[in-house]
Amino acid sequence: MKVEFELNGKEQKFDVKPGEVLLDLLRDNGCKSVKRGCETGDCGACMVLVNGRAMTSCTLFAAQVDGKEIRTVEGMEDNLTDQLKQFMLEAGAVQCGFCTPGVLISAYSLLTHNKNPSEEEIKAALDGNLCRCTGYVKQIDAIKETADSIGGSSDGKK
Amino acid sequence: MLRNVKDYHYPGSLDEALSLDNRESRSFFIAGGTALALSDSSRPVELIDVSRLGLNDLELDRENGNLKIGASTRIQRVVESGAARSVLGGFLSESLEEIGSYPIRNAGTLGGSLVRPFPWSDIIPILSVLETEVFYYHEGNEKTRELSRLYESDFRSTLNSSIIEGVSISLPEEGNTAAKFMKFSRSEFDVASLNLACRLTVEGGYISKAKLSIGARPMTGERIPALEDNLVGKKLTEELAKKSGKEAGESAELRGDEKLGQEYREQLVKKMTEEAITEIMKEVANES
Repeated sequence: MKVEFELNGKEQKFDVKPGEVLLDLLRDNGCKSVKRGCETGDCGACMVLVNGRAMTSCTLFAAQVDGKEIRTVEGMEDNLTDQLKQFMLEAGAVQCGFCTPGVLISAYSLLTHNKNPSEEEIKAALDGNLCRCTGYVKQIDAIKETADSIGGSSDGKK
Repeated sequence: MLRNVKDYHYPGSLDEALSLDNRESRSFFIAGGTALALSDSSRPVELIDVSRLGLNDLELDRENGNLKIGASTRIQRVVESGAARSVLGGFLSESLEEIGSYPIRNAGTLGGSLVRPFPWSDIIPILSVLETEVFYYHEGNEKTRELSRLYESDFRSTLNSSIIEGVSISLPEEGNTAAKFMKFSRSEFDVASLNLACRLTVEGGYISKAKLSIGARPMTGERIPALEDNLVGKKLTEELAKKSGKEAGESAELRGDEKLGQEYREQLVKKMTEEAITEIMKEVANES
């Protein structure tokens, strides 16, 4: 069957099997930042933005995103992404790196909707991302730093 | 994962969706898709995508005193909506925020959670203690049914040939009514090993209405009418909370499974009921 959606800013058409999951379609089409992890929606390694909302691509059928806007880390080229990447590096929030694209997606989604997240809100936003290396502290620090840098205060005050 | 999906349909109307479902092959309605994506089956199936049927309204109708939520509405959208935040001092949105993780709530829909009532469902106990009616489309007509009666055995075949359109939640009077939801799980985003919702209306210090629902027992959430009846007419005190906790632990139908033993669940129900009632008592006292 044919599905059509905007992938990283470019309208694209794909031939998919009716039961094909979005994770497979994206990886087969070069989006290798979308990692194959648990395949049950638990680890967040396959996270993408669907119409600006973070979702796990392993639990979405490709046919479900027909007509929607999908963004992966490959297509994130703006100031917020640059800041997030920089502060993730500076904070030492990247170790093995497997969870990093998913964490970037969650953080990006959070900071797009809430420029002044509290620590609790940052933790809640990372609920769906498993990281076996960092213990999350450095990732939380990086998101706080990014919020400060983009004009928020990361103290939760709106 | 469903490994053998033969076809995927995008019906344009409720009638078309039902006609697709009535064909001979095995078919499933799909909205958020989280539940189906996790199904492990190699049997051939067809998927009928109901996300384009316009069932995603979220409307606060103060005049008629209810909140209507369409079946395809994403759970996170309900969490973030001002309308949901206005129900019982934030009870609805704060409780729904306990479900899964942010990406799961972004994908999962309210209707999907009702159609496939997983035993660990948090939505069922939460909506059970609110006055919730379910709207469904059956044989060309829109019908309603109380949420607590949705899973009665004689209704299952009707539900199987219907599409849930949404729910309507009666807005309780603020001030003397409060509710609490509690969940016990292995991690922040894991499914519940036990969950409990309680709502009390208090007049002059005495309970006039009570609703208590327990889920992940490990069976699907169910109200405990005997305990609810016992609470009505009683003075709301810490002693009553303690006594009710004990009673809930003894009267709720609980079993053990790989997550928790039966005795552990009994102790949890006891403690969670006591805590829920105590917290409601404090909240009602602060409001009055």
